[in-house]
Amino acid sequence: MQEVIGLFAISEILRGLLSQYFSNPQWIDLFMALINLGGILTVISMSAIVLVYAERKISAYMQVRIGPNRVGPWGTIQSVADMIKLMSKEDIIPDSADKKMWILAPVLLFIPSAAVYAVFPFDRQAIFADLNIGIFYFIAVASQSTLPFLMAGWSSNSKYALVGGMRTVAQMLSYEVPMAFSIVGVVMLTGSMRMSDIVAAQQHGWFIFLQPVAFVVYMIAAIAETNRAPFDLVECESELVAGPFTEYSGMRWALFFLAEYSNLLAASAIATTLFLGGWNGPWLPGWLWFFLKIGVMIFVFMWFRWTFPRLRIDQLMTFGWKVLLPLALVNVLITGIGIYSYKLFS
Amino acid sequence: MDDLVYTIAFYILAAITIASAIGVVTKHNLVHSALLMALCFIGISGLYVLLQADFLAAVQILVYSGAVAILIVLGIMLTQRRSMENTNPNSGWPRGAAVVCALLFVVILIVIAATPWHYSSSMAAQDTPSVLARLLFTDYMVAFEAAAVLLLAAMMGAIVLAKGGEEK
Amino acid sequence: MNITLLTSEIAIICLSLLIIILDLLLPRFETRRSLGYLAAAGVAGVFAYTCTQYGVSATVYQGLFTLDSFALFFKQIFLLAILLTLLFSFDYVEGLAKYQGEFYALLLLAVAGMMIMASANDLLTVFIGTELMTVTFYILVGYQFNSSKSSEAGMKYMILGSVSSAVLLYGVSWVYGCTGSIVFEQIAKHANTSLGMLFGFGLIVAGLFFKMALIPFHMWAPEIYEGAPTPITAMLSMGSKVAGLAVLLRMVFIAFVPMQAYWGGIVSIIAAITMIGGTVIAMWQTNIKRMMAYSSITQAGYMIVGLLSADASGIKSVLFYAMLYMFANVGVFATIIAVKKHHGSNEIKDFSGLAQQSPLLAVVMTVSLLSMAGIPPMAGFAGKLYVFSTVIEKGYLWLGLLGFVMSMISVYYYLNVTKVIYMNEPCVQKEFIVSQPLRIAALISLLATLWIGIYPGPLAELANTAARSLSIL
Repeated sequence: MQEVIGLFAISEILRGLLSQYFSNPQWIDLFMALINLGGILTVISMSAIVLVYAERKISAYMQVRIGPNRVGPWGTIQSVADMIKLMSKEDIIPDSADKKMWILAPVLLFIPSAAVYAVFPFDRQAIFADLNIGIFYFIAVASQSTLPFLMAGWSSNSKYALVGGMRTVAQMLSYEVPMAFSIVGVVMLTGSMRMSDIVAAQQHGWFIFLQPVAFVVYMIAAIAETNRAPFDLVECESELVAGPFTEYSGMRWALFFLAEYSNLLAASAIATTLFLGGWNGPWLPGWLWFFLKIGVMIFVFMWFRWTFPRLRIDQLMTFGWKVLLPLALVNVLITGIGIYSYKLFS
Repeated sequence: MDDLVYTIAFYILAAITIASAIGVVTKHNLVHSALLMALCFIGISGLYVLLQADFLAAVQILVYSGAVAILIVLGIMLTQRRSMENTNPNSGWPRGAAVVCALLFVVILIVIAATPWHYSSSMAAQDTPSVLARLLFTDYMVAFEAAAVLLLAAMMGAIVLAKGGEEK
Repeated sequence: MNITLLTSEIAIICLSLLIIILDLLLPRFETRRSLGYLAAAGVAGVFAYTCTQYGVSATVYQGLFTLDSFALFFKQIFLLAILLTLLFSFDYVEGLAKYQGEFYALLLLAVAGMMIMASANDLLTVFIGTELMTVTFYILVGYQFNSSKSSEAGMKYMILGSVSSAVLLYGVSWVYGCTGSIVFEQIAKHANTSLGMLFGFGLIVAGLFFKMALIPFHMWAPEIYEGAPTPITAMLSMGSKVAGLAVLLRMVFIAFVPMQAYWGGIVSIIAAITMIGGTVIAMWQTNIKRMMAYSSITQAGYMIVGLLSADASGIKSVLFYAMLYMFANVGVFATIIAVKKHHGSNEIKDFSGLAQQSPLLAVVMTVSLLSMAGIPPMAGFAGKLYVFSTVIEKGYLWLGLLGFVMSMISVYYYLNVTKVIYMNEPCVQKEFIVSQPLRIAALISLLATLWIGIYPGPLAELANTAARSLSIL
C-alpha cells in the first residue's frame, strides 16, 4: 500500500513512461531531474500562497477575528488575489539606491532558500540529492541568505533598511551557531549527516524524545533564522517599517515574501526530519506523514508568532550567546557521555 | 559526456573565481569588493565540488562566504561615510604593483610549467566527513587541539582589544 | 598514541586556563600579582618536569609531533624565557589599566605555541603552532590601550604577520603538491629538486625568516618592538625568533635535505646582509627598544650562520647561541623595565647614572650587552666562537670574518649605552625602586651569562646531545 502511492513509486512510473520515448538513460536522468526540480519549485511557490492564508486565518483565530472571508469560499483564494495585485503593481526603484545590487538582492535571496530543498527527504528514496553531508549542506547553504538581506538593506540607501540589514547579520549569524550545535546532537546519535540515514535511524523512536533540549534550541534558533516574531527584529514594523524590504514594492517585495515562507517551510521540514521521524509513520504514505508533520511544525511557529511579544535587540543577542549556545554545547557534551556509556554497558 | 560536462563546469567556475577576484582588487567601493569576494569563495567551493571534496566545499561556503557579511558590516561601521564611493582605493603605485604582480604571475607560470607533476592514481575518498574526522582525531590531533587553543586565544584577544580602550 | 609526550604543553595550556578562571573569581580591584606568581610557579614546575624528559625520542601518532632532546632543548629555552620574563614583568603588568589576568594567560598561550613549534614534525602542526604564537602576539603587542603607538604596532604586526603566514601557507601547498605529504620524513623521501619544490621551500623559508626578522624581512621589527609592552618585546625577541629557528632547523635538516645545495648561497648572503644592516642601523638609534630591535636582527643573523655548516656541530653552535642569547636578553629587558618605571620612557639617555642608582642593574645591563657583543669573559664570546669556527671549517671564511668585524663594530653601540650608564650623572633624583622578582631575574641572567662564558662545557654538552638527536646527520 505504502509502496504504491509513495513518491518513489510515482517517479518509477514516470521513468517507465519516459523510457518509451527515449532510449538514452542520460536523457531520462536529465528529464527526471527537471521534473524533480519543477516539483520542488511548485511546492515552494504554492506553499507561500497556502501559508499566507493559513497565517492570516490562524492569527485571526487567535485574536478572535474572522480573517479573510471575501474572496472565494472562506476567503481561500484571497492569497491568489493578493499575488495578482502584487504582480500588477508599478515597479519603483529608489533614486539613490545602488541599482544593480538592489535589483539582484531579492533574486539572490531566493537561491539559497530554494537550494536547501535539494536535501529534504520527502519520502522513502524521494530525495533530490542524498548527499553524505546532507544536514551540513543545509546549514552551509541556509547561512548564505544573510548576505542578500544585507545587500538589500545596504543598497536601498535608507536608514531603516540599513539598520535592518545590519541586524540581520547580527541575528542570523548568532543564531546559526546554536542551531548548528543543536543539530550536532542528532548527528552524533545517527553517526551520519546523510538525511536518509537520519530518517532511517528514527524508525523506532523519534529523536525529539532522545534530544529534547536540542529540539527546543533548534526551534528557538529556527525562529530567529527565519526572522519571525518574537525574533523579527530585522523587520519589526514599529521600529524599522519593514527592515531591508522597506524600499521594495510589487514583485520584488513578493520575492522576499516568497523566500521568507520558503525558509519557514524549510525550517519546519528540517525539524520534522531531524526530530519528528521524517516520513516515518504507520498507515499513511510517507510523503503525507512528512507534510502533516511539517504542517504541525508550521502551526507551532505561527502560534509562537501570535503569542510572544517581540524582544529587544540586546536581549536577543544576550539570549542567543549566553543561554542558547551554552545549552546546545552542554547538550552535545551530555549526548557524547550518553552515547559513550550506552556503548560501554551494552 | 561526463568529462565534457566537468571540463565546461571547471572553466566556468574558474572564470567566475578569477574575474571576481580581480573585481575585489579593482572595485573602488568596499561593499562591492566584499560581495565579489563572496562570489569568489563560492566559485572556489564549486571547484572543490568538482574535486569531490564535498565537505570542504560546504565548509568553504559556510565559513568564508559567511564571514563576508561580517566583513561588510565592519566595513560600513568603520568607514562611516555617507557614500561608499572610493572606500577601497588603489595603492599609490598601481603600475608598480601591476608590474610586480605580473612578474610573480610569470614566475609561478614558469614554475608550474617546469615542474614534473605526479598524478595520483587513487580515487577520491567517498565518505569525506568520516575520513576527515578520523584524520583530525588521530594523526592531526595535536594540530587540531592546538587550533582550538588558537581560537580561544583569538577570542580572548578580540574581547580584550574591543573593550580595552573604553575607560578613558 | 602516547599522550604523555604532550604533558608539558597541556600543563602550560591548563595553567593558562586556570589563570583565566581565577582572574574571574578574584575581586575586581584586587591586584593580579598573585596570578603572576602562580604562572611563574607553574612554569617553573613544568621546566623542572622537562628536565626529566631528556633522552626520550618518541612521537605522538604518525610522527607528526616528536619529542626528542632537540625539541626539549628549545622548550626549555622558551620556558626559561617566559619564567624570567614573568619575574621581571610583575610591576609592568600592575601598571596596565585592565585585563592583567588575561595578559598572563595569553603570554602562556604564546609559549604553548612556541613549544608546539619546537616539536612539530609536519608542516600543518608547524603552521598551527606558528599561528598560535603570532596571533597571541598580535593581541599582546597592542595591549597598552592608552598608547596609540602600541595599537599601531599591534595593527601593523597583524597585517604584516598575516601576509607572512599566507606566504608560508602557500609554500606549504606547493611542497604538498610536489611531494604528496606534509610530514617531514615523507617530504624527505619524496623530495626532488624540481622548480616547484624549490619555489615552495623558498616561500616557507621566507615566511619563517619573517618571524625571525632577518633582513630583508625585518621591516616590521623596529616599530613593533618599540610600540609593544616591554615584556612582550622581550618575548618577541627571545621566543618568536628562537621558535622560528627551531622550526627552520628541524625542517631544513629533516625535510629539505636535498635542498641544501641551494640553501648555502642564499643563507650566507642573507646572514651577511642581516649582520651588516642590523649593526649599521643600530648605531643610529636613540631609543633603547629600537636599538634592541636592530640588535636582535643582527643576533638572528649570527644564529643562522650556524645553519650553514649543516652538521651536528653547526646545530649545536646554534642551540648554544640561542640559549645564551635568551639569558642576555633577559638581563637587558629587565633593566629596561626598571628604568622605564623610573623615567617613564625608553630613551637611551634615561639610562644616565644608572650605575649610581642601581649598581646591580648597571652591572647586569653591561654584562648582557657585552655578552651580545661577544666580549671574552661573557657567554656571547663562547657562542660566537662556536658559530664562526664551525662555519669557517666549512669554507665560509669570509662570513666568519664578516661576523667578527660586525661584532667588533657592534661593541660601539653596546658600549655607548654602558657609557651613559657609568659616565653620566642621574638626571632625575628620586629613589630607584627595583622589585624583588625583577632583581632575581636580573641576577639569574647575570650569573648564567658569566657562568656559561667562563665554563661553557655543560651547556655545550647539552646542546650537543640535543643537536645529535636531530638524527639524520
